[in-house]
Formats: sequence, C-alpha cells, structure tokens
Amino acid sequence: MTDCGCDKARRDLEEYLRNEVCHTNHTDITEHLATCASCRDEALVARTLTEVVARACRETAPEELRDQVLVRLRETQATHH
Amino acid sequence: MNGVLERPLLSDAPPVDWPVMDDQAPADPRAQFEEQALPFMDQLYAAGMRMTRNPADAADLVQETFVKAYSSWATFTQGTNLKAWLYRILTNTYINTYRKKQREPYQSAIDDLEDWQLGGAESTTATSSRSAEAEAIDHMPASVVKDALQSIPEDFRLAVYLADVEGFAYQEIADIMKTPIGTVMSRLHRGRRMLRELLADYAKERGITPAASRSAK
Repeated sequence: MTDCGCDKARRDLEEYLRNEVCHTNHTDITEHLATCASCRDEALVARTLTEVVARACRETAPEELRDQVLVRLRETQATHH
Repeated sequence: MNGVLERPLLSDAPPVDWPVMDDQAPADPRAQFEEQALPFMDQLYAAGMRMTRNPADAADLVQETFVKAYSSWATFTQGTNLKAWLYRILTNTYINTYRKKQREPYQSAIDDLEDWQLGGAESTTATSSRSAEAEAIDHMPASVVKDALQSIPEDFRLAVYLADVEGFAYQEIADIMKTPIGTVMSRLHRGRRMLRELLADYAKERGITPAASRSAK
C-alpha cells in the first residue's frame, strides 16, 4: 500500500468517516474505497467500532433522578427571586 | 401557472396562534428550561456513568449539571447547540469536582507519548482478517466494550465518547474539552486504537480471534 491512495485513505479515514475532511479529500477517498477492498475493510472496522461503542454506552437515567432534578430546579428558582 | 395561484397559498395561513412569536410575553424560564434541557437527561447520565464509573456519582453529576445550567440559562442563546452547551457544563463540573480527587498522575503527560509507546492495533491485524475483526467487534458484549473504554486514559476516553457516542464534531469536542482540534484528533485516534487493541486481545483470549477462527481454516 504505497502510492495507490492507501496511505492517504488510511491517514484520513477517521476524519473521512466523520465528515471532517474537505470536499476534495472526501471525493478522493470515496473513489479509493470503491476500488480498494483492504481500505474498505479498514473502514468497516472503524465504523463497527463506533457503532459498538455507541451501543454499549446507552443508559437510561434512574426515574428518581428526574424527580430530584425537578425539585432542585424549583428550589433554585425560589432562591433566585 | 401564474401569480393568481401562488399568492393565496402563502397568505392564507392565519397570522394568529403562533406561540413562537411571542417575544413580548416571556415564557416561564423554568418551564422553558425543563422542556428543552431535561430531554438530554439520559444522554448526560450515560456520559456521567463513563466519567465517574458509578451510578451514584453519575446521578449527582447530572443533578449538578442541570442546576448549573439552569442558573446560567439566561446566557444560553436560543437556537444554538443546546446539547453541546450542556455537555460543556457537564464536563466542567466533572473536572472541577470529581476529577480533582482522583486525577491520575499520567494524565498530563499522556498526550506527549509517542504512538509506538501506546501500541497500535493496525499492525497486529493482518489485512485479510479485517472484515473478521469487524465481525468480532460487532459481537463484543457491551460490558466488555465498557470495561475496555474504562481502562483507557480519561482524556482519550472522553474524546472517543464525545465523538462516537454523541457524534459531536471535532470543533464541538474541542470546545467541550477546551483543547485545540489537533489534540482532539490525536486523543480520538489513540483512544480508538487502544480500544481496538483491547477488544482484539479480548477476542484472542476467548479464542474468537478472527485469524484463528477463520483464516486458519
């Protein structure tokens, strides 16, 4: 993987997947991924990692937290005026 | 198709009953705050869990965050990114109250480490097994992923969390973490590489390493 576009694609892959690269780079990398299975796999790993982390971190706040917050907000309001 | 048809369509809408427009009649700020900010509670709690590592501290942190946010609600500009604003307060509160007491010594020096000192996942994985690696990651139990995330340095973990879980843009993460964008990128890359390596190690230990289960046969 030298001058075939792999270096650039690998270097900017994270930014590419997060839409943080400029338009020109984005087009270049899209074109490269279309022809390079190895970089496509690398992108798949990166994307999967993001999905798995997002999935694992999902939480629901305890019901009583909501009540506690509402009470605190009411107190805060009261001391404000 | 001419002007006759176009005009009525636009002007027929009744000019009344638009609560959006009532600038003169200020809504109750608390009602407004509750309506707009409280829906982020689950997300802030999830972030708090990853920061403090336990439910009680996470709940306290979220509570403090909402109280502080409400106190400065007047400074929030309607129409700007409320989620990012709340995360900034959450992160500040965390750093100022919780992190002080548990700050680990390596934190300040971690950004200066060279890549080779942190290791790299890419080199350990053969090209042919990458799609299998993706599959192994995909089947990783949530508890394993959370443990792995918990074991990487805090600043890296936060960058990964804000990018991967919350989908914040680099600039937003830079604002939240109060660091330059370059630092955000570096922390994100390194954090993800460490995470990937930890998950690969886990898979290897369990004998579900992609290389062993697939390419070998």
